[in-house]
Amino acid sequence: MFKLALKNTLFYKGRSITTAVLTFVSTILFILFISLQDGSHNAMLENSLKIYTGAIEIYHRDYRDVGGNEYLIQDAKAITDKLAKIDAVEAFSTRYETYGLFSSKEYSAASMLAGVEPSKESVLSSLGTALKEGKFLDENAGNCIYMGAELVKKLKLGIGDEVAFVGSASDDSFAADIFKLCGVFKTGLFEFDSSASFVSRSYFDELMNGYNKASYITIKLKNIDDADIVNSQIIKVLDDENLESLTWKTLMKSMVEMMEIDSIFGYISLSLFLVVIFFVIMIYGFINISSRIKEFGVLRSIGLSKKNILLLLFYEIFILSTISVILATPIAAYICYYYNINPVVIKGIAEMYKDYGVVSDEIPFNFDMFTIFWNVAVVYILNFLSILYPYLYINSFKPIEATRHV
Amino acid sequence: MYKLILKMAWKNSFMRLSRTLLVIIMIGVSMSMMLGIQGIYDGMVNNMVDKNRRSDSGDITIFAKDYRVNRDLLYRIKNVHEIKNEIQKMDGVEAVVLRIRADGLLSTARKSSFASVIGIDLKEEEHFGKFSEFLKEGTVDLQKQGAIIGVELAKTLKVRVGSKIIFSTQDGSGEINSIALYIRAIVQTTNIALDNSAIFIDIGQLHKFLGTASTEATQISIRGNGEKLYGELKSKYPNLDVKTFLELQPMIKQMQDLMVIFNSVTFFIVMSVVFVGIFGVMYVSILDRIREFGIMLSVGMHYKYIRLQIFFEALFVGLMGYLSGAVLGAVILVYLKNKGIDLSSFSDALEMWGYESVIHGTIKISYFTTTFASIITASLFSILIPLRKIKKLNPIEVIKADK
Repeated sequence: MFKLALKNTLFYKGRSITTAVLTFVSTILFILFISLQDGSHNAMLENSLKIYTGAIEIYHRDYRDVGGNEYLIQDAKAITDKLAKIDAVEAFSTRYETYGLFSSKEYSAASMLAGVEPSKESVLSSLGTALKEGKFLDENAGNCIYMGAELVKKLKLGIGDEVAFVGSASDDSFAADIFKLCGVFKTGLFEFDSSASFVSRSYFDELMNGYNKASYITIKLKNIDDADIVNSQIIKVLDDENLESLTWKTLMKSMVEMMEIDSIFGYISLSLFLVVIFFVIMIYGFINISSRIKEFGVLRSIGLSKKNILLLLFYEIFILSTISVILATPIAAYICYYYNINPVVIKGIAEMYKDYGVVSDEIPFNFDMFTIFWNVAVVYILNFLSILYPYLYINSFKPIEATRHV
Repeated sequence: MYKLILKMAWKNSFMRLSRTLLVIIMIGVSMSMMLGIQGIYDGMVNNMVDKNRRSDSGDITIFAKDYRVNRDLLYRIKNVHEIKNEIQKMDGVEAVVLRIRADGLLSTARKSSFASVIGIDLKEEEHFGKFSEFLKEGTVDLQKQGAIIGVELAKTLKVRVGSKIIFSTQDGSGEINSIALYIRAIVQTTNIALDNSAIFIDIGQLHKFLGTASTEATQISIRGNGEKLYGELKSKYPNLDVKTFLELQPMIKQMQDLMVIFNSVTFFIVMSVVFVGIFGVMYVSILDRIREFGIMLSVGMHYKYIRLQIFFEALFVGLMGYLSGAVLGAVILVYLKNKGIDLSSFSDALEMWGYESVIHGTIKISYFTTTFASIITASLFSILIPLRKIKKLNPIEVIKADK
């Protein structure tokens, strides 16, 4: 049967070439489209995770929903001691965030002020590497402040300038101090750069009465894909109902959801191409079969069953699909691989879409063999489906009737 | 003669019914899907453009020079009422609003966030952009220290209608000043900047709080049409910064451009594949009847009549496909326009990124006209090669042949 199918595909060149070409195009289109979509989403998430948000963060319950100083973590050390025992955790650090007003000589702006552990942050986030001017903090940085570039621009500050801060301490008392601008960072995340500033915790704790307290504890994992498993481990180890441990999927829920929506719309757009190609493949298959009714009649008369006919059609489409997929997949995979390593650069896209959290002009493709595999599988399934109607059409003829068909 | 040709073409178009129906279904399904996708994407962008215009910049906005760079209260426009009166008298102006804006810290007893307070005149805003349509919760009222807050800012601060908030900022004289406000309403403008960080209060009250004169504003927004108006405003106020909506929103401009590129590429690819489909059917349909055409030629029928018949056949198939696609597409578009796609389960994300949770489509006549032109063109092009084959026919040989 396979031999016969092979002969048929070679004999009916028009149908074979059209089907093969369309399958080739749809395979390439499908793989590249999904790769680009996944790649850009992954890059957005990775950039955001790299900059500041941790793979897992531990909060006092209600800190995120209600807020306020009573929901600060009161004994951070007890938690960090437990975290140190978990193998999958690469690094962790406590952060204490508060909001206040900064004033330079002439200008004022509201901003988040966070007390961080500089040496740990160098491992956990890209705050240190985002340095644009001056220097990053260290444990003994004193009243040095490390500020976002957009905020510095707003306050019209230069390195070494003083800036006043007014906010409230952990005991709700008034907290005010004068900081010295030691470093400026630019992560590319516009909102973050225009609203965040950092001080070494040793100094911050004194100002805010924040010893051993934290807004949350941020955690970096050895492998981010293990976030859910490690999170369960952490919850078990902490064993405290007043604490909640959340993975990046919850922390960045809006971004994850938006990407899901983007993917949905992407699939809808892609389905248009696939449906049209499916129809054309089916039409060519149908035309081909219509011209072979007599042949099928003869085959049925000499003893081939309906199942054999289906198998013959299946082999024909299988041969054509396989040839196309074998040609298309390595090409598409190589393009994905190449642009995964050398992302497409669209100058100005980060600036243009800064409100959407786009921090880089680079759009990498995703190179994932499993994704490529299921893309190819979908193309195969569509091609197999395209023979169903022609097969039903053939079966509507009785063998004798088919042999007489003109 | 022509009547006969038309009749023959019609009958031949449906001689192989299944085959023709497949082509019609292919055209119909692909066209309706394409129209639906174009409609929903255009609808998303149009909705964003419309709400951004109504809630913020209008069609043209005037700032003091350097305000946009520094975003500081120092850069205010003086004599705004005089300027407003002058603008209102200009041709093409539909509405003008004055706004004053200051950035600062918004706090509740538990949470704080940076925010922008915007002084507005509710009556004028209603005329300008139907402000009340942005209402999500509460009542649009700014009396007695009332404030209207953007939906995302409300989520960040965990405040509701009735909550008390404190806004602190540097006033017009450079001093830090605070004001207590009561939330009367939560609005969703789908303008990310406003939803994430804006609180609206009465412009008179904000002037008092900031210590600025009522004859000053940081922004004059105008609704009106035409490049002419923009040119006139630019030359009339050379000392002010006059910007069009798209100059202020380059991202939306790029989104619109991207949408045009995306729609064009989609259109081209789909039509190319549709062309391949129609071509296949027309080609086989003509090959099937090659003897018939040979006989027609040998009995003296001129080639031009055969060409006309095939031309009509392609036209009928294309037209039927177009009509089925247009009807199905219109149904989808009307549904998308009226009911929209409900993505409420993703509402948090959509609101955060400036979209409504129910996305409505739009309908443009151009969707149908361009598709019509393309399908008919594709249908007619599909017969060029088969026609060449017929033209080269030797009637005697064809008649002698088995098929």
